[in-house]
Parts: sequence; C-alpha cells; structure tokens
Amino acid sequence: MAQFDLTRINCQYLDRHLTFPLLEFLCGKEIYNQQELLEYILETVNKTNMIDYTMDTRKRLNLSQEMPEELVQRKAEVLATLKQLQNEVAPIMKATDILKNGESMKDSKTFVNALQKDYNFKVEHLESAYKLAKYLYECGNYQESTSYLYFCLIVMSPNDKNYLNVLWGKLAAEILTLNWNTALEDLTRLRDYIDSANFSTIQALQQRTWLIHWSVLVFFNHPKGRDLIIEMFLYKPLYLNAIQTMCPHIMRYLATAVVINRTRRNALKDLIKVIQQESYTYRDPITEFLECLYVNFDFEGARLKLHECQTVILNDFFIVACLNEFVEDARLMIFETFCRIHQCITISMLADKLNMKPNEAECWIVNLIRNARLNAKIDSKLGHVVMGTQPLSPYQQLVEKIDSLSMRSEHLAGLIERKSKQKNQESIDSWKYY
Amino acid sequence: MSRFFANGSDSESESSEEEVQAPNFNKAAAFQFSDDEEEVKRVVRSTKEKRYENLTSIIKTIRNHKKIKDMSSILTSFEDLTRAYQKALPVISKEENGVTPRFYIRSLAELEDFINEVWDDREGRRNLSKNNSKSLGTLRQKVRKYIKDFEEDLSRFREAPDQESDVEEEEAHDSDADRAAEDSDVGVPKIAEAVPKIPKVAQAKAPAADDDDSDDSIDWDSDTESETESSEDENQYQNMRERFLKRTTEKEDKDDDKRKDKRKEQKTKIRKRAEDDEDGEWETVVKGHVVEKPKMFEKDAEIDIPLVLAKLVEIMSARGKKRTDRRLQIDLLFELRDISEQHQLGTAVSVKIHFSIISAIFDYNQKISEPMKLEHWALLLEVMQSLLKILLVNPDINMSENVAEEHEEFTQAPFYVRGCPLAAVERLDDEFTKLLKECDPHSNDYVSRLKDEVNVVKIIELVLQYFERVGNNNERCRIYLRKIEHLYYKFDPDVLKRKRGELPATTNTSVDVMDRLCKFIYAKDDTDRIRTRAILAHIYHHAMHDNWFQARDLVLMSHLQDNIDAADPSTRILYNRMMANLGLCAFRQENVKDAHHCLVDLMVTGKPKELLAQGLLPQRQHERSAEQEKIEKQRQMPFHMHINLELLECVYLVSAMLLEIPYIAAHEFDARRRMISKTFYQQLRSSERQSLVGPPESMREHVVAAAKAMRCGNWQACANFIVNKKMNTKVWDLFYESDRVREMLVKFIKEESLRTYLFTYSNVYTSISIPSLAQMYELPVQKVHSIISKMIINEELMASLDDPSETVVMHRSEPSRLQALAMQFVDKVTNLVDVNEKIFDMKQGNFFQRGNMGNRDRGYNRNQNNQGGNWGGQRRDNRNQRNRNQRGHHKQQQQQQQQQVQTIDEE
Repeated sequence: MAQFDLTRINCQYLDRHLTFPLLEFLCGKEIYNQQELLEYILETVNKTNMIDYTMDTRKRLNLSQEMPEELVQRKAEVLATLKQLQNEVAPIMKATDILKNGESMKDSKTFVNALQKDYNFKVEHLESAYKLAKYLYECGNYQESTSYLYFCLIVMSPNDKNYLNVLWGKLAAEILTLNWNTALEDLTRLRDYIDSANFSTIQALQQRTWLIHWSVLVFFNHPKGRDLIIEMFLYKPLYLNAIQTMCPHIMRYLATAVVINRTRRNALKDLIKVIQQESYTYRDPITEFLECLYVNFDFEGARLKLHECQTVILNDFFIVACLNEFVEDARLMIFETFCRIHQCITISMLADKLNMKPNEAECWIVNLIRNARLNAKIDSKLGHVVMGTQPLSPYQQLVEKIDSLSMRSEHLAGLIERKSKQKNQESIDSWKYY
Repeated sequence: MSRFFANGSDSESESSEEEVQAPNFNKAAAFQFSDDEEEVKRVVRSTKEKRYENLTSIIKTIRNHKKIKDMSSILTSFEDLTRAYQKALPVISKEENGVTPRFYIRSLAELEDFINEVWDDREGRRNLSKNNSKSLGTLRQKVRKYIKDFEEDLSRFREAPDQESDVEEEEAHDSDADRAAEDSDVGVPKIAEAVPKIPKVAQAKAPAADDDDSDDSIDWDSDTESETESSEDENQYQNMRERFLKRTTEKEDKDDDKRKDKRKEQKTKIRKRAEDDEDGEWETVVKGHVVEKPKMFEKDAEIDIPLVLAKLVEIMSARGKKRTDRRLQIDLLFELRDISEQHQLGTAVSVKIHFSIISAIFDYNQKISEPMKLEHWALLLEVMQSLLKILLVNPDINMSENVAEEHEEFTQAPFYVRGCPLAAVERLDDEFTKLLKECDPHSNDYVSRLKDEVNVVKIIELVLQYFERVGNNNERCRIYLRKIEHLYYKFDPDVLKRKRGELPATTNTSVDVMDRLCKFIYAKDDTDRIRTRAILAHIYHHAMHDNWFQARDLVLMSHLQDNIDAADPSTRILYNRMMANLGLCAFRQENVKDAHHCLVDLMVTGKPKELLAQGLLPQRQHERSAEQEKIEKQRQMPFHMHINLELLECVYLVSAMLLEIPYIAAHEFDARRRMISKTFYQQLRSSERQSLVGPPESMREHVVAAAKAMRCGNWQACANFIVNKKMNTKVWDLFYESDRVREMLVKFIKEESLRTYLFTYSNVYTSISIPSLAQMYELPVQKVHSIISKMIINEELMASLDDPSETVVMHRSEPSRLQALAMQFVDKVTNLVDVNEKIFDMKQGNFFQRGNMGNRDRGYNRNQNNQGGNWGGQRRDNRNQRNRNQRGHHKQQQQQQQQQVQTIDEE
C-alpha cells in the first residue's frame, strides 16, 4: 500500500508540528516499519522544544525510562528562556486580558492608541510578544501561542516583516488546537494576503503550494470545507495552476471532495478535464476511478478501482473520515451513469458492479426508487431493472433549442440597452458642461 | 557628307524613315545592313538621346502654348522642363563637361523675353483670365529664380543674338520644319562632342570643325542634305560607300575607345606595380623559409614580442582596404605564426596571431551571401581548433572583447588578449551552414561536407568548455544556444531505449544534455531571443523523442504562440518546425486531435515548404524581387535538418480524416456544420470531381480513398488504404517505431469507422447487438461498449443499452415533415442569434470574454488552451476559439438547465 501513500510528499509542504498527527496516524496503520517511524518522529521532535513529547517517543522506542542528561538540561534552558520572554512581555500582558473581554476594543487603531496611552506600549513589546508566541508554539503550547498571535495580528500593520509569519503561525496553531472555525478564518485571511501581496512569481507559487496543503487539513474537518475546497482548488485558476505545476498529488483530495459532494456534480466535468491533463504526472486509484467511469465508461475497471480506493482512503490521514461517504457516493455515481446509458439492467450484474450482494443491491435500488431519485421499475420475475427513459421527442428538442435562444437574445438585448443608456447618459453628462 | 555618318547617331532616328521614303533603295543593300543599323541606333539612343528628346519636346510644347498665351500650361510645362533638365543633368555633366546645352539656354532666354513682354503689356494682362494671370505671376517669379543659375550662359547666349533669328525662322516653318528643328536641337551637342574626334579620323571638314558651337542652321542644313541624298539614292555603290565609311569611322571610334582603355589599364598596372613594390619584399618571403626571414624582419633584428606585435599590427592594419591582397595576408600571418613559434614568444602572442588568422580568413570572402572556399574552410577549422586548445591548456590567458587594445598584456603571466572566440565560432558556424547550402543535397559533396559537422560540434564544445570557465552568463547562453542548435534536430535512440528500460536510467542522453543547457538559458538569459529559441529547440527535441507531455506543457506554458508573430523570421521558422514536429509527436502518441491542431496552421496555407524554409516555391508573377529571393535563400534550412513534407502532409490528412469523417456522418443534416479541415475537404472534393477514379497512386489519393471507405464504415478497406506496402515505404517507415504507429493507426481506424457506421446507419436499425459489432470491427466487446456509452452520454447517439440481451436500442424517432422544418428553422434562427452576438462582440471588443482576458496567468491559459484545443495561436484562430468557447459556454448553460429540469422532474 506504500505506493499510494502521500505522507512523504505531503510532509514536505507542512510545518514540522503539523506532521506529527500524520506520522502518529501512520504508526497505527502498519504500512511502514513501526520502529523506523518512531525513530523518525524522535528525530523530528528533537528539532523542536517539546521535551515531554520527546520523552514520550523515547519511551515508545524503549530507549530508556530515564531522562538523559542533555534533555534535562535542555528542558531547563527552555523553561528559562520562556520565563525571560514572558517577563519581557509582562507589561502588556494585562492588555491582552482586556482584549479578551473588551468588546469595544475591536478596532485595531483605537486599541493601539489605548495601549500606547495606558500601558506605555512600545514596538519592542510587539517584537517580544511575537517571539514569545513562536517559542510557545515550538514548545507545543499552541493554545497560549494563539492568544499572543492574535494580539500581534491586531497590533501589527500588514507591512510588518513578521506579519506573514504571524498569519502562518496562527493558522498552524489553530489547526493544531482543532479550532476549525477560526482556522478557516485565518486561512481566508492568509489567502487574501498572499494573493494581494506582491511576491515574485516563484515565491507566490511556493506560498500557494504550502497554503494548499495546510488548507486540506482544514477543509476536510470543517463542515463547510467540502464546498470551499472545490471552490478554491478547482475554480481559482491561481491555485489550480499551483496544483498542476507543484503538487499534482493534491488531485486525490480534490477528487475525493468532488465525489463526496453530491450538490456539486457539475464540477465533475471540469475535474475530469484536469485529471486527464495531469494523468501523466499523477494517477492513483481515485483519479483512475473517475477516469474509468467518465472517460472510458469501463464499469468493470471502475469497480476494481473503487475497491482499491477504499484501501487508499483508509490509509490517508486527510480523508480517512470520508471513507463511507466516498464509497456510497461512488456507487451512486456508477449507478447513475449506468442508468443514463442503459435501458434494462440485470440486478445481479448491477450488484456485481457495485461490490454488493444481489439482495443488498435490490434493497438499495428500491430505496433509490422510493426516494424518487430514479425513474425506474424492478422486474422481479426476470431480475431486471427497467429504466423509465423516454426518448427525446423532436418537440422537446425544439423547446430546448429555443429556450436557450430566447435567453441569449434577452441577454444581448439587455447588453445593448445598457450600452445605449450609458451613451445617453454620457451625452447628457457632456451637455452639462456647456 | 560622311561626317554625318561619322557622328552618325544624330540622324539615325530618321534612318528608318529614310528607308520608307525611298522605296527604290537597293533592297539587297538595305537588308544587308539593316541589322547593323538598328544595333547602332539602339546603342546611341540609350541615355543622352532620350533625355534630350524629352527636353526638346517640352520646349516645343512651351512654344506652342506661348502662341496662344496659355500661361497656366506654360507654367506646368516649365516645371516639367526643369524637372527633365534635372534628370538630364548627370548625362550633361558627363558628356559635355557640365556645359549647359545651348538649345536649353535658348529656350530659357525666349521664355524670359516672352514673360517680360507679356508682363509689360498691361492692357493685355488685364484681359487675361484670372487663372492665367495668376499663373503668369508665379511663372515670372519662378523663371527669374531659376534663371539665376544660368546667368552666365544666358549672357553669353545673348551676346550672339544672330541665332535668335534662326529660331524665329524655324518657328515660321510648318510642322515638318518643326520636327526638323527638333532634330537639329538634338544634333547640336552631338556634333560638339564629335568635334575633337574628327581630326583623328582625318576627315577634313573645316567649317564644322571650326565652328565649335556648331550653329543650328548648318546642322539643320546638313540634315536635310543627308535626307535628300538618301532619297536621291544615286546608286548602290555610293550607298555602299557611305555605309563603309560610316563603318570605318565607327571602328575608328572603337579603336579610340580601346586605346583609352589600354591607357587606363596601363595606368592601373602602374599603380598596381607601385603597390606590389610596397609589398614586394613580403611576396618573396613566402617562397622559402630561411631566405625570407630576414626580409620579414631586419636581418639581424632580435625577434621579440614587441617586434612581432608591431609586424602583426602592420599586417592587420592593411585589413579591409581595397587593394590589400587578402590571400597574401593570410599567408603572411601564417608565416608570422611560424616565426613566433620558432622563437617561443609565448602562448599569448600565438593566441593573438591565431585570432588574427581567423579574422583574416573570414575577411577573405567579401560577399556575405557566398560561402568560403573549401581550402580556407579546412584551414579555418584547423586554426580554430589549435587556438582553442591553447586557450584551454593555458588558463592564465584572458581573451575577451572587454580587454582594450592598450591593456593587452603579452609578456607576463596573467595575459590579456583582445578578441572574442565566441563571435568567431558563431561566424564559423554560419559559414558552415552556408557551405552546406551551397552543395547539392543529393550529391556526395553534401555528405562529405556534412562530415565536418563533427568538427564544428567539437569546436563548439571546446568553446563551451572555455566559456564555462571564464564566460559571463550572456556569453554562456550564446554558446549554449549554438550547441543546442546543433543538437536539437538529432534523434538519439538511447532516449527511447532508456524509456523502455533497455538502458539503465543513469545513461546520459541528448535529452538530458538539452535539459541542462536549456534550463541554464531559461534561468540566466536576459535577451528574450536566446530564450525563445532555446524553448523552441527544447520542445522540438522533446517532441522528437516522444516526450509528448513535456513538449506540450512547454508550449502551453511558454505562451509562445501569443507573440511569435513579432519574432524575427528565423525564429518563426524554428517555431514552425517545432509545431510540425510536435504534431508528428502527438500523432505517434495517439493524440490525433492535438496532431491536427498543431499541423493545421502549417497545412492550411498550402505552402508548408516555404513555412519550414525547406525550399522556395517557384516564382509566381514576380512575387518577390531578386533581393528578396536572396534573403529568403539565406534563411533556408540545410537539407539534413529538413522535415519530411510528405510525412507531414500524410499525418495531417490522416488525422483530419479520423476527425472529419465521423463528424460529417454525425452532422449530416445539420445546417450549422462547419468543416474541421479545409485542406482535407479540398482533397475529397477534387477526387469527387473526377469522372473516373482509378486505384490510388499518390499518398493523397490513398488517404482520400481511405476516407471514402471510412464513410461507409468499411474499416478493413480503410486500413488497407492507409497501411500498405506503398504507404509504408512512402510514409510510415520514416517513423522510428513504425510498427507501433501502424498498430495505433489501425486501432483508431477501427474505432472511428465504428462511430461513423453507427452515425450513418443507426436510423436503419431498431437495435444492434454489441457482440456482432465487436466482431465486425474486430474490437474487444469492452471497447465497443465503451465507445457506444460515450456516444450516448454525449448525446450524439439517441440510444440506450439493453444489458440482458447485449444490444443497443435506438430511440431515434423520425421527425415529421413539420417537425423537421421547424428544426431547420430553429437552426437558422440560432445562426442569426450567433451572428448578432458576434457583431455585438466585435463592436464591443470582446465583451463576453472580459472575465477571461484579464487574467493571463500561465496555468490558467493552459487550461483554457486545452479546452479550445487551440495551438496555432494565430489571430484568426483565436477568434474561432473564442466563438467555440462561447458556444461551449452556452451548451453548458443549456445542460445546466436540463439538469435543473431533470431534478425538478425527479422531485
């Protein structure tokens, strides 16, 4: 299963702290050697200041129960630094409290003014607050870090050199504290910032690539995320471009999101176009499933791929939660396509294609018919499902064509009218000056 | 008498008239000499005569106008006159030492007098019409102004007023006399010219000789005399004698000319001798080694660096001068090199001399368009190689353009030499191309020339090494580009072998080399041209090795098609070559549609040969001047880089067939059908026009025959027409993996035939069994199923599958007549709306596309491009694409609506 595992690639684009959940997830999956994984985690953790976590990992590796000397020393050091930083920030600590309670302090300018007046606030304080936040984050104290970062965010001007870092830090901390609502807010804020700031092309591409990876975490956990991910990845050209050039593997998440989103079926067409275009750089069971179903109409292939998809999803940290939904929706997609093409289907064949038992399948179809999602009847004697399709009558064709026509003409007429109005307006305006 | 034949020319214009006038003229004699006469006439009439005639005719019109006092006409005529005189000036200055011809002066004087007269006559002036009086004013001013330049001549003319009476007399004559006067006018300068010759001819004709200015009356007289004489036509003998005499004088003239020439030659010889004298001591040097050395330098001179350099400068300073013997210069430089090597003057000096030799060889050929001589070419290669070897072995020599002459350093360790090996190698490369183009590509010459390519590449490689050590980015880019241009069109089978795993993945192939070079250029180049060319070559190379996706992405992301129109011709040629190759690659990689899109722009013009610079089309109605042709010839690709045109055309036609035939079948009764490929249509139509179609012979006929077979869904015949022995040798064997291509072709033919079959015959069936279709088309059932499903989903085929019986059930209900008419009507209305939108679109600028146009990010356009499938990037096509997009957009809307309707229904 390791061939479809994307953790290695994904981790390149994630913060060190954000990789821990992924790695821990992998530990439970037995795809890789447990021992090696743990060693890798230890190595990564050692680069941070999370001493407790280091100890924990060491224990799991059965290295020793005792804390090594250097770790003890480091812990002391870390605590000392923390103390020192906290002292530096102490003068404005109270201010943050006010911020938490004071509803009236929402406007950042008045807040800064108030700070300067009441608390003798200086720019250095901001600097140290930022440092403290970073340090706290490195120590794994995300909750506290967010509050400092929030403070920084409000006080800092967007031109500050640390502003971007603060945004990223805030997002990471919110993700790690599983605060999805605020994470989503931060995500939008960060995206706006990246899109509006004038990076060089390469820098912007890099920033976007990072953002795409981080946002996957948010999108699959936030209830609104499933629409947003399609919106952002597929319909924002800048991001689609970044995916195509830097990280085509994100196609997996995009495809999953489209499949499990029943209301956005028309996104499928665009998605398939992109998948086909990138098929030479990236393919996995999920994209292949869609390709089988919508490009080649190979139902047998789709069935096999669906089977593979299940294992892939099961082993992917980001989308593991969507497994059942995915399977259900994928089946429905197969079935829908089937119905559009066929007039008459045997239930046993259908069951086969859907990875179901005939009885189950029949039950499933009955449910579909009852919910009026399907215009069909079951011929239980022969074991067939007969579609209630009517051929498109010429009359209908005619109506269809004319329908669009009238709309187009109306549109055109509207445009012309607007134009002439504008012209009139202009001529009236120009007369005013005489 | 004979004098007039001696000068001859003046009356020659009449000689034909003479003959007409004298029918009793001895015919034999006339025939005998008529040729001769004409010849003379032609020679003489050339410049002087023509100009003078022009002048006199204008003068005559002025005279006529004067009579009726038509001032405005005089004014225009006068302007014509001055202009004509301006034209005649070079002739005058040449033939008469700048003396203004008398008749011209006379006319000016007359004109002045006339104007003064009219001006003074106040009464008459008042009577003039408004227009005329106005013209008179301007004319007066103009003449006054103009005459100032001729003041001297005029005053001299007025001193001898006797001639004026002559003129008046002439004027009194009738029209005949007028003509004569005209002739006499022409005659004047000729005689003046002939005068100095006369003594030599020893034709004593005192009066004429005395009268330097040769007054008109006499001249006129003599003319009439000659006329009368010839009309009299006493006897043949006299006639003969005249002719003879005339001839002798002619000869005499010629002799005279020759003598002059000789004198000139002598002079030049003397001059040359003088030159030779200057260089004399050098010439002998070449012959022997020991002897001439003291002549190169002073006998006992101590040969050291400054001395050699001084000599070098001396030799090189002669460079570019007209009288320098270029061959000698080269020899001298070689000599100098040997001497410097004998005395071990150090590498830097030797580098300098080497470089001088190279530039001297380049100088040898003065015309840029001509290739250099083979011997020099061989010499050049050798010198170039040795120069580069020295440069590479001695890292302490700095050779670059940036070293000023004064800062050159030859004596101690960090040597500085001025010169640019890069420019030299670029020139060398260009020369090589010229040499190749000179040879007949089908001869052995070409092959033997082509063998030098190895050497050229080797030299480029050496320079590249050198510049990788010392060069700046720009120089490196330039030399990289040179290397790329020698690399990109060469096929490396290792690439494909590696792809198939026959070679280990670590093998270094040309694709890797290209990648490295091109990426450096992409990153470091600051001139746009090198980068563009590098990209084009890179794509070409990828396409050649079947790296379809890489090639495609490079094309789409570089946005070359947007601004290639602004590039220089050679880059555009490269672009066309790239597109052609990309099309071939797409075809090999089973992307028929893309192949068609790539090639359509090349083929639709009907002259891919010109677009690819692989030969000039035969001249049609002098479309281009000789100059243009020369330039175009310079742009041609050498033969070994050509892309096979027949292959290209065949690939294009076959892919057009695969797209077009099912399309035709599907839209048989569609009023809005548009053709996909015009060229293909032309071929089809021209074959349909034939009354009797024989078995196919040429490639095109094969494709057309195949297309016809496909229209009936007969895949077997179609495949046989496309893939057979004849076509294999003609076309398909040119592909590297021809078997794979053929297989792919047959597969596509089967699929598209099946589709065509279904489109064409679906109205005959109520149901078709899938297995039998599969059997018919020898396709797996799975594939047939998939094809039919696709057609159903795309609403191309009104049918649905019946799973238990494995059949396709057709739903096609034939529309009634009324319905059919209604459908047609709707189609027409749709056309109308389309046109309306287009008009609005045009007036508005692209209103519908405004959203898309603002954003030009590369990936975005990449998507857009793929949707429209637009490759060519020509403006015309862009428009098409826009429409296509628009239509797609509407279709989408339509479908959305449909879906909404469906969901509503379902609910």
